[in-house]
Amino acid sequence: MLLDPTAWLLLILLGGLVAVDGTSVGQFMISRPFVAAALAGWAVGDPIHGMVIGLVLEAFHLTVLPVGAARYPEGGPAAVAGGAIYAVSDLAASTLLVTVLLVLLLEWVGGETIRLMRQGNIGLVAEERPGWKTAAALERRHLTAIGLDFARGMLLVIAGILLLWAGHRFVLPRWGMGEDVPQVVLTALVAGLLASSVRLVGLRGWFAAAGAICGVGLLLFSI
Amino acid sequence: MSPLPLRVRIHMLLRSFAVQGSWNYETLIGAGFAFAVLPGLRHLYGAKGRDLDRAVARHAELFNSHPYFSSVAVGAVSRLEADGTEPEVVQRFKTAMRGSLGSMGDRLFWTTWRPMSVILGLVLVMAGAAWWVAIGAFLLVYNSLHLAVRVAGLKIGVESGLDVGRLLREAPLQRIIDRGSRAACFLIGLAVVMVAAPSMVDPVAGFVSVAAIALGFFLGLRTRKVMIAILVGVTTLALAFGFIGHGA
Repeated sequence: MLLDPTAWLLLILLGGLVAVDGTSVGQFMISRPFVAAALAGWAVGDPIHGMVIGLVLEAFHLTVLPVGAARYPEGGPAAVAGGAIYAVSDLAASTLLVTVLLVLLLEWVGGETIRLMRQGNIGLVAEERPGWKTAAALERRHLTAIGLDFARGMLLVIAGILLLWAGHRFVLPRWGMGEDVPQVVLTALVAGLLASSVRLVGLRGWFAAAGAICGVGLLLFSI
Repeated sequence: MSPLPLRVRIHMLLRSFAVQGSWNYETLIGAGFAFAVLPGLRHLYGAKGRDLDRAVARHAELFNSHPYFSSVAVGAVSRLEADGTEPEVVQRFKTAMRGSLGSMGDRLFWTTWRPMSVILGLVLVMAGAAWWVAIGAFLLVYNSLHLAVRVAGLKIGVESGLDVGRLLREAPLQRIIDRGSRAACFLIGLAVVMVAAPSMVDPVAGFVSVAAIALGFFLGLRTRKVMIAILVGVTTLALAFGFIGHGA
């Protein structure tokens, strides 16, 4: 069996929770990929490897800005599916690379479902229909929209887990590049993506350089 | 003395967490704004009735703001309603607040505080902290400012009404942005070294990492697309090698 029923239940609920945390309610950031993936890993018994894939996904997600009506990939539910499936896999570098790629695809699908949901919300709360904008109707429709978002997150996690499971079964047996290349590629990608986020916070190169020097010092000290 | 009782303000604060619940492409967070300000309107116009419904319809029109700063607008608008301000004035006030509350929140949270907090969490993971310590530290640091802005925003809004713009200009937001972005840059430098260091034992892997760091630093926000293309390219090659190998 892919996952036991308790793990399925926890992951589906977590999917709904991180979906609404992304935009609809709170935005406490439990939907950040490294948080969501580690919690998913914990749900299947291995939070450390959930965190490992979460770290890579977080690097990809750092420069995504959910500003206004922008279309952006959705990190939370995809990270839940990715964290869970990677944590129960063989933990090889090629598995990590393939899982990350499929999760990025899922993030894009998640972003598209957000766009559709926002389009659907027009009919729910924005269309001019006589008499609906009463206090009670507004509360009911607003809460319905949040409920639909929660359900969307749950469905995305179910679809995501099945897609990743199928992807692993199809791709990994045909992997013909060993484990060294994906290891090097993933390390370089994460380092490059982290470096790219300096631009996001204002290109203060001297502070980044000071951090890098401290990092080198810490590494030398720990040897 | 606040024109709205504490119980009503607490309800408005809690509802402001769901201000984006019915986000849509026509009224943006308009319905969510009306949902958040509703406890104040019920206090002023009664639990039911035509006056309440008219006020709800007015506030469910187009509105946008950064979600955390929306509590400022919720507080200020409920104060204006309590003062009996003309609906046209309230509408103009909301329109004037929209842009500034959005850009302030985007600069403070999306491009400064969030990256800084996330990278702090990542650095802790790479430094060997337990997974729950890293997540806990990230959520604690991030949400300390998030919750402070929500709570203080509502308070300032309710207390100052139309004067809220002046108070926001005097708030030390730019100082927080400057310090936060410096801290973020420092942590990014630290994180990059911690990620890339293990690959330095091998000359080829070390070179690839240094090239990726340089690429990321110069491409900035466009890096993500390039890195995804590299990921797709490597996977395609590996599958091609795999098929050739299986065929041989």
